[in-house]
Amino acid sequence: MSAFEKTAEAVWEAPATDGMRVPGRVFASEALFRGASEDRALDQVVNVAHLPGIVRASFAMPDIHWGYGFPIGGVAATDIDAGGVVSPGGVGFDICCGVRLIGSELTHDDLRPRLEAVMARLDGAIPRGLGKGAVAGRRLLGDVLERGASAAVDGGFGVPEDLARCEERGSSEGADPSLLSDRAVERGSQQLGSLGGGNHFLEIQRVDRVIDAAAAEAFGLAAGMICVMIHCGSRGLGHQTCTDHVKAMGPAMRRHGIEVPDRQLASVPVQSEDGSRYLGAMAASANFAWANRHILGDATRRAFADGFGSPVEMPLVYDVAHNLAKIERHEVDGRERRLCVHRKGATRALGPGDAALPDDLAPVGQPVLVPGSMGTASWVLAGVAGNPAFDSAAHGAGRVMSRSQAKKRQSGRSVKEQLESDDIAVRPGSVGLLSEEAPYAYKDVEEVVRVCEVAGLARPVARLRPVGVVKG
Amino acid sequence: MKRYETIPHTADVAFIAYGPTLHELFENAAFAMFDIAFDLSAASGRVTRPIVASGDTMEELLVAWLNELVAEAETHDMAFSSFGVDRLEEGGVQGWAGGDPVGSTPLIGAPVKAATHHDLAIVEIPDGFWARVVLDV
Repeated sequence: MSAFEKTAEAVWEAPATDGMRVPGRVFASEALFRGASEDRALDQVVNVAHLPGIVRASFAMPDIHWGYGFPIGGVAATDIDAGGVVSPGGVGFDICCGVRLIGSELTHDDLRPRLEAVMARLDGAIPRGLGKGAVAGRRLLGDVLERGASAAVDGGFGVPEDLARCEERGSSEGADPSLLSDRAVERGSQQLGSLGGGNHFLEIQRVDRVIDAAAAEAFGLAAGMICVMIHCGSRGLGHQTCTDHVKAMGPAMRRHGIEVPDRQLASVPVQSEDGSRYLGAMAASANFAWANRHILGDATRRAFADGFGSPVEMPLVYDVAHNLAKIERHEVDGRERRLCVHRKGATRALGPGDAALPDDLAPVGQPVLVPGSMGTASWVLAGVAGNPAFDSAAHGAGRVMSRSQAKKRQSGRSVKEQLESDDIAVRPGSVGLLSEEAPYAYKDVEEVVRVCEVAGLARPVARLRPVGVVKG
Repeated sequence: MKRYETIPHTADVAFIAYGPTLHELFENAAFAMFDIAFDLSAASGRVTRPIVASGDTMEELLVAWLNELVAEAETHDMAFSSFGVDRLEEGGVQGWAGGDPVGSTPLIGAPVKAATHHDLAIVEIPDGFWARVVLDV
């Protein structure tokens, strides 16, 4: 394995050797890098550097941890016009998994007397964990797969103004639902408007600290404000689409003469029939995820209105994906190129002035949502100019402990009691599973945010503390 | 011979399954995947579903078999607890899974999104086979 060495403040690099086409580059503090060295995450950074057409570097964000194929926190861009590949493993099974942050007109004091009522309504309104249960019926599905969040708006979920505050306006280009397998559609038809399990959550939070007042104001955030953060993705429809395409890429790679160091890095040229088929199916699955978060956002607003007995103003702050491959233009070696940018557990982070931002966000940059763990804090960052990793930043705190270790350390019931003693209301789908997602299973989100700033990936805007947690 | 054991993985779930034959290896890998997520101690496994999967190699076949079980379980809201492989040959596997409704089987681990190819191995040993599988959860 290539040896990583510190080359600058918060930057660690492995030179391109032994079949690597580019260096591996990890953004991390000493402590975060030590953590990443303890499992096989760094091997995965090196493996990704072998992908045909990869340019600049195989990057890893500060929340890097061991995944399957790509590391979680991995960013890889391939040059489409130079044989660059697309890899379903670089997107992951949960295609377009991401985070939505909704603001409100409420302060913590406004919410306090109504918190139990709101939590009870969220508990009933947010389908989660295993089982069917979904907010939206299957009649919306076809339109959603074509158009994403705008189809949800037309179907009565949310308002058109929300769309300007969604990455890509909540719709992925090039979606072709006819490329989804029957099984993928069948799985999705029962799950449109559902949270899922694992690390997915819906959290009521309060803004406890504002670092960048101008950016916070542009985003619609203020100190003391109550917000809601939702983390979920494309559910079984996306999982099945990834499964289908990773399988199909075995023989396809042989046809294209591509070899990769890990079968889960299966990839084919973007400019090939196999590549187009994956990207069309991936975009349709992404549309499911954009709409899924949109529908859950609408269900959240309704739950607050029910809990308060009258509508509550809850504008969307932003919605971002952190598992997606996108066709973007970036300058590499002095020339603008068409790249396929994979972000596997990494958030797009556009800097101020980027043409893809709506007018009200252009002066400050794109909101970057970095959820922490359910007992600590989450952060809102903003994109900065000159991002070295194709406009990408961290997507969360990143795990530091396996699920079985986490369960051994404390029971789910005691994690629940601990959260409640910290004044955090909890509505778990399964109490026993809470310990898998306990705060101690995650890295220090403050450290992740600090490295994002030092490494020029994004700058901190506001910190959010949990008030109520709804888990799968 | 034990049926399986879990092995460390930071974010996801990994296990090694054992079997005196490839048939039993596939059955035990399937059992491992559900036993990690559900408390199967009181499961009856009385509702059975046919499971068919294809793959070019034995490793591809194992992942396809497990992913077919994930999809079948989710589609029918089932937690599977008993498994049988009727035919296992080059290119395909045919078998069945018996389970109970998800609602009557306590969930004890994060739901499985898919079986991956990462770190996948099937190895022949003196008394049979073992297989290493990483699940995305």
